Order: sequence, then structure tokens, then C-alpha cells
Amino acid sequence: MISIPCEEHRLENGLRIVLSPEPSVPIVAVNLWYDVGSRNEGRGQTGLAHLFEHMMFQGSRHVAGNQHFELLEGVGGSANASTWFDRTNYYETLPAHHLELALWLEADRMGWMLPALTAEKLENQRDVVKNERRQRYDNQPYGDWDERMLAMVYPPGHPYRHPVIGSLEDIDGFALADLESFFRAYYAPDNAVLTLCGGFESRRALEWIRRYFGDIPPGAGARMIPGDTDAERENPVDPGQTVEAEVPLARVYAGMRVPTFDDPAFYAADVAGDILGRGRASRLHRSLVLERRLAKDVAAHVFPLMTGAAMMVVQATGNLGIDPGELAAAVVEQIDALSSVSSREVARAVAMAETAILGQLEVVARRADLLSMFATQFGDPGRISTELDRLRAVTPAAVETLAGERLGPENRAILTYVPRASA
Amino acid sequence: MSPARFRRTPPEPGPVAPFAVPGVHAASLASGLEVRTARRPGVPLVTALLVMDAGEATVDGPQAGLAVLAARALHGGTVRRSAVELACALEDMGTHLATSTGWDSTVVSLTCAADRFSSALRLLSEVVLTPGYPGEEVERTREQQLGGIRQRRVYPAQLATAAAAHFFFADGTTYGRPMAGTERTVAGLERTHVAAFAGSRYMPRGAALVVAGDVTEAEVTDLATECFGGWRGRAAPVEATAGPRFGERRIVIVHRPGAVQSELRIGHASVPRATPDFFPLIVLNSVLGGAFTSRLNLNLREDKGFTYGVSSRFLLRRAGGMFRIATAVATEVTAAAVREVLAETKALVADGPTPAEVRGARDYLAGIFPLRMEATAQVASGIARAFVHGLPANYHARYRERVRGVTVDDVARAARRRLHPDALTVVVAGDADRVAPELESLGPVEVHHDF
Repeated sequence: MISIPCEEHRLENGLRIVLSPEPSVPIVAVNLWYDVGSRNEGRGQTGLAHLFEHMMFQGSRHVAGNQHFELLEGVGGSANASTWFDRTNYYETLPAHHLELALWLEADRMGWMLPALTAEKLENQRDVVKNERRQRYDNQPYGDWDERMLAMVYPPGHPYRHPVIGSLEDIDGFALADLESFFRAYYAPDNAVLTLCGGFESRRALEWIRRYFGDIPPGAGARMIPGDTDAERENPVDPGQTVEAEVPLARVYAGMRVPTFDDPAFYAADVAGDILGRGRASRLHRSLVLERRLAKDVAAHVFPLMTGAAMMVVQATGNLGIDPGELAAAVVEQIDALSSVSSREVARAVAMAETAILGQLEVVARRADLLSMFATQFGDPGRISTELDRLRAVTPAAVETLAGERLGPENRAILTYVPRASA
Repeated sequence: MSPARFRRTPPEPGPVAPFAVPGVHAASLASGLEVRTARRPGVPLVTALLVMDAGEATVDGPQAGLAVLAARALHGGTVRRSAVELACALEDMGTHLATSTGWDSTVVSLTCAADRFSSALRLLSEVVLTPGYPGEEVERTREQQLGGIRQRRVYPAQLATAAAAHFFFADGTTYGRPMAGTERTVAGLERTHVAAFAGSRYMPRGAALVVAGDVTEAEVTDLATECFGGWRGRAAPVEATAGPRFGERRIVIVHRPGAVQSELRIGHASVPRATPDFFPLIVLNSVLGGAFTSRLNLNLREDKGFTYGVSSRFLLRRAGGMFRIATAVATEVTAAAVREVLAETKALVADGPTPAEVRGARDYLAGIFPLRMEATAQVASGIARAFVHGLPANYHARYRERVRGVTVDDVARAARRRLHPDALTVVVAGDADRVAPELESLGPVEVHHDF
């Protein structure tokens, strides 16, 4: 495994900094994680973290409305952001000699976003976000699967029970005051990690970071994860739901609560997911696609979540005309069969993960995002170079134990989409 | 607190860091197979990609979908290995085979750790040179393809994209067909067709092996000779057709009762990739709809809030191309959004771009180029695209220079010659009952209930 250079610093205002210089590279990635996501939203506030992310591109005290993108695209850079359950990230990749521009832009909105916030901008982005929700959820076959699955897997009161995009009702209800208090609490140097990766020289970059971020005050406002993150310990999942939809092919989702990302057992869950549904040699593919011809495609994925419980999702899309009940039973059968796994299957999952991790390290933007993630969620960006070791340490027995403890019927939600007769 | 003076204006750039475009080493084997290698030390990964003159355009209309099926059915195994044995052999090495078919080529590729490259490439060659195509695997793959065709109808974005191809190009043209075929054509495809297609189109002459990553040219040449040295044959050239369907504006609604959004595809047939206008066209596109700060996105998203995003593209292929604007808008603003798109296109043709816009678009395209050449898979795909269009191995070395050479006049001229605002075909996948009445003020409307 290759070793990624990485040094850590911290400003007096609490901003954590990760530098991963490779001076010979002609591009640089700037990546900023704010430790806030949809898990921080209270009742009636679903979608606030994500709408707020949109507002961060609407200008700040010294940056006019569309100037963020204009300046970055004008120098050949790309920029974006994303909101997730546990965090919100902002990132730019640009030619290395424009690094200072990206720092200037990020600092201005971290320190001085509120003076530029207007009701008109809020109305515009509210419409944009509602269209994003329509495009991804409401006008999309199976588009509401995660909204349904989250509510089946996580009990009432749990911060992961609602999807990041939020409900149209809540999105409609936000006022400027909601955005202002959200900004004051969460958008502050002491709630963020700033990572630079690629073509720069550390000493110079630190001078710029001190200059632009150094006098931004720490946050003022309570940070919280509302609700009950331990709720799942007492509450079983909702075992099953069937939805009739305008789709020609049936689809089955199985959702299971698994150990959080910071639990050593998470890696056994990750490997279990790969053995089940990653690649054509995986069990679901071999059994459901090749041998039984029930499914057109299969997949399994573990969401690396931090609060209470993470989630494994297994998915199978049926072939034309198959019995959806038989498809669901076949998925469950394969999950149950994880009570016995071979060392070859574990080794294969690790080999596939190794190539995937190397693929992420090739791209400065991905490398920067991983460094920010490990710094924010583990306090240790150096984990980027040892992540594969944790996967390699997973044994067949660990996967079997995980399956026995976490993937059984009492912890399993099955969501089945059945084609309406007319579709 | 009063912010310091340095906050008021953006900082100036530092000295430009040199960017070396990956050098490409080209060689050919006696069989005619071209080998293009880009050495990228650093992360120990290698991408190998075999690009063959076996695109969907080489298939006759009644067999539409055959090139797609033949490529997908390669996963069915080889004469020596079953589907499961093949998958296990690849995944034990931490890799998997990807197949993809476009109009102009079929590509079989893999990315693997550098120390497993030779074994992985041997497997890739075994798959392409000696496919097993067992009957039940071909049949199963065909069933999946049919499922995908049925499924396409319920995904509004896919439906609109397929309808755009159909309505932009004339009946009977190659590019007017659905890429993966229709239920009727695919249902008729048998193992014998698949084997005959591979036997006549998977040929070394006209194909290239592209390798990018942590490997030397000498290693690649030796290995290519070992793996592909005995491969012989040539795929006969096939000419695709690409004439337009309409000569004037049409509005076509593909009815989706109750849809909360309309998926819009607005455009027309266009020139082939070999056009001398290529560089002016990509700058033009960047001004209109190729970037976040393009005219269309600033208007429809950032000003009006009609959409989550809008983009435009020139999709230029060997025998012709298309210009296409794509967006999804709320049902109630469908006609308003179409009106804005038509007006923006018309204004750009009539008035041309501003010097600042052209400068911004050139700097954007030239600056972003290194960001698109980072991963071995990106480098290999770029080299393969150049090969497909008959461009030299060192094509990318001059890319940024040529982008920077585009003038305001070049872009204005390209807009006048290559954008036809009065002949745009407007495809709407949405609720016809709600959107048709207002759209009628913009041009003749036809509604299709069963596309």
C-alpha cells in the first residue's frame, strides 16, 4: 500500500488543517468538511443542512452572487459540495497556481456568509432544491426507496430516519432566521477540517490559511444531534413493506443496521456486503443472476455512518415476470447463508477493495476528501494509509459472527417494489 | 469586526505550474493491432483497454442491439472458463472486466494493481479472442437487455434521451435507432448472431490496445505481442447514416400522465467529429451550456429556479452528431423554460458571444484539462477516443494550445453555422395534458402516448 504524505495543524480559532503536498503535481484540491449533516436537523427541519449548502454558493460579503463559480471556472477549476447524514463537504480542484483563490473564497463564506444572505436568494434556491427533490425522488422509479427504507430501519426519533433531501413541506417552511442560526452554530472554524492535497508547498500554504481563516471567530450556538441515537437498541426494524409502482421490473431492498464506521466490526460488515453483492463472483450475482435467473442485477453496499448504527443495503432487480416474493426470499436466503464464508471469499473482497482504494488515491480531490473524512470522524487523517490493513484483518469467523449478530430476521427490513398490473 | 483589505479582491495567481500532458508511445503489431501506451508512475495501478471497430453502427437495423449484446455476453465465459470461473479469476486479482458499446466502438477494459497487470491482460485477451458464448449465457444476457429496454420507458431521463435521438434523426438512419435495440430486434437475436458478430468485428486491424499507468512501454509491447500476436483479421468498414428528421421547429411530447417534472431535450442533428469547427464548437458550447456559469444555467437555474441544472453538448460521432440541451423542469414552468432555451440559443446565434465569455470559456476548458487526465482510466479513455476518431497518438499534447487559439469570431461563426434556433426539435417527456396548451404558442406540437 502506498503511503500518503500528511501533516496536521490547528489554528487558534479551532480550524483543523491537513496538508498533503506533492509539489510536482500541477493541480491542487481544496476540501473543507463541516461537521454537520442531516443528523443535526430537528423536527420540522428536514432538508435544512442541504438547502443551506446551496446557499453557500450564493455569495458572501466580498463575493457576489455567482462569482464563486465564475472565478473558479474562469481559471479552469471545478467546484461543488455535498450534504450527507453526518457531514457537509465543499471542494474545489484547480490549477495549482490558483490555490490562494480557493482559500480566499472558502474563508469569505466561512466568515462572512450572512451579510450576503437575502430572501430573494433563499426563494431561488428553495425552488432549485425542490426541483432536485422532484428529479431524484418524485419523478423517478423506485426514487423513494431510501426515504422508505430509512423509516423502516431507524426507529422514530433517530437522526437517520429521514433522507438528506428532506420533505417538500419542511423545505417550504424555512425562513432566513433558520439559516442564520444554523450558520452561527455549525459554520465555524472550530467545526471544520480544511484539507489541501496536490501541488503546493506547505509553509506557503499555511501562511495563506492563517491569513484568510485566522481571524474568523469560533462558532456561537449550540450544536446538537436531536433525537435518540440509541433508540435502535430497543426498537426492532419494520420487517416488511410492499409497494405497487409503475415499473416493469420488481425490485427488492433489504436494509440492516450494522456497527458504526468507528466500530472495528464495521469492516466485517463491509466485507460481508462485498461477499454478498459486489461483482460477478459475489453470492447474489452467482445465485440470483446466473444460476436461478431471478434477477437482472444485484448490489450490496454499507453506508459508513457514525451515529448509533450504520446501514447495509442489499438490492436485487428482478427479471421480467418473476415472482417478487420469490425474489425477496432468494435475497434473504443469501443473507442467511453468510453464517458460513470461506477465506477465499474474504480474500477476494479485500483484493477488490484494494484496487478500489488505489483508484481513489489516484485523484487529488478524492484523496483530499478521504483525508478530511478521517480527520473529522476519527481525529486521524493518517488512517488513509492504514485503512486497507483494517480490511485485511477481517477473518471469515468475524464475518460469520457479524452476520449472526446483525443480519438476522429481527434486524432486517425488506422493501419490495411490485409492478402494477398496468405497467 | 471590519474585514481586512486583502479580503476585498480575489488574490492574484502565482507562477504557472507546468503540466506535462501524458506522453503516448504508439506501436503496431504485425496483425495491425495498434498499441498506445501512456506511462504514469505514481499510484501502482494500470488500466488496459481494447477498443475495437465493433460499435452499434456496424449492425444492420433489423439486428439493432447486437453489438451491445455481443459485448455484454463476453461475461458468459471463454472456451476454457465458465462465467463463474471467469468472474472468480478476475476478482481474485482484485479486478473486473468492463464492456461498453457505443455507436463507433466496443471497448473491453480493466483496471488492476500494477503487479497483477500481466495476468489480468492475459485474461482480457482470452475473453476477446476466445469467447465461449454458451447458449444459456447469451440467452440470459438477452433477457437482461430486454428488461433494460422495458425499464428505459419508466425512467423519464432515459425516455427523453431515447426520444430525442429518434426525433432528431430521420427514419431509417443509424443514429435515430435506440442504441441497445428494440424489444422486437433484440428478441430475434440468437447465439449464432452473436458469435458471427464477434467473429467478424472483433479484429486486430482497426483496433487498438491502450494501456495507461505504472508500466513501461517495453513491458506493454512484450505482453501485447504475447497476448495478441496470433490474432488475425480485419473488420470491414461500415458507414453510418445521420440525416435530420425535421427542417423546422417541432415540439414533440412523450406523454407521462401525472409527471411532476418535464424532462426536456432540445436540439438537432449536427456535424461529425471530424469537423474543422471542433474547437470553436466546444468553446461555443461552454458559453451556452457546458459549465455552471454558462448562459443557460445562470438563466434557468440561478435566475428563474426552474431546474436543478441544465447543460448542453455536441455529441459528435464518426458519421454525424447531435447538438442537445438537457434539463428537467417543474411541470408548471415547462413552456416558460422552453421559451428561455429558445431565446438564449437565438440570441447567441444573432449576437455572438462577448469577448469576456470566450476568454472565460477558453481558460475554463484549457485549465480543466489536467483535471480530466488524472486517473489511469481517464487517460486511457482519452487516448481511445482519439484513436476511434483517427486522431494521432499525441493528439492531447496540443489540445490546450488549440483551445486557446479559438477567437471570438471563430465562435460567432460556429454559432451561425452549427446552431439552428428555428430548426430545434423540442422533446418533452411530461404530462401532455398540462404542458401541451401553452407549448402550442412556440411551434407545432405532436403528442405521443406510446413511445
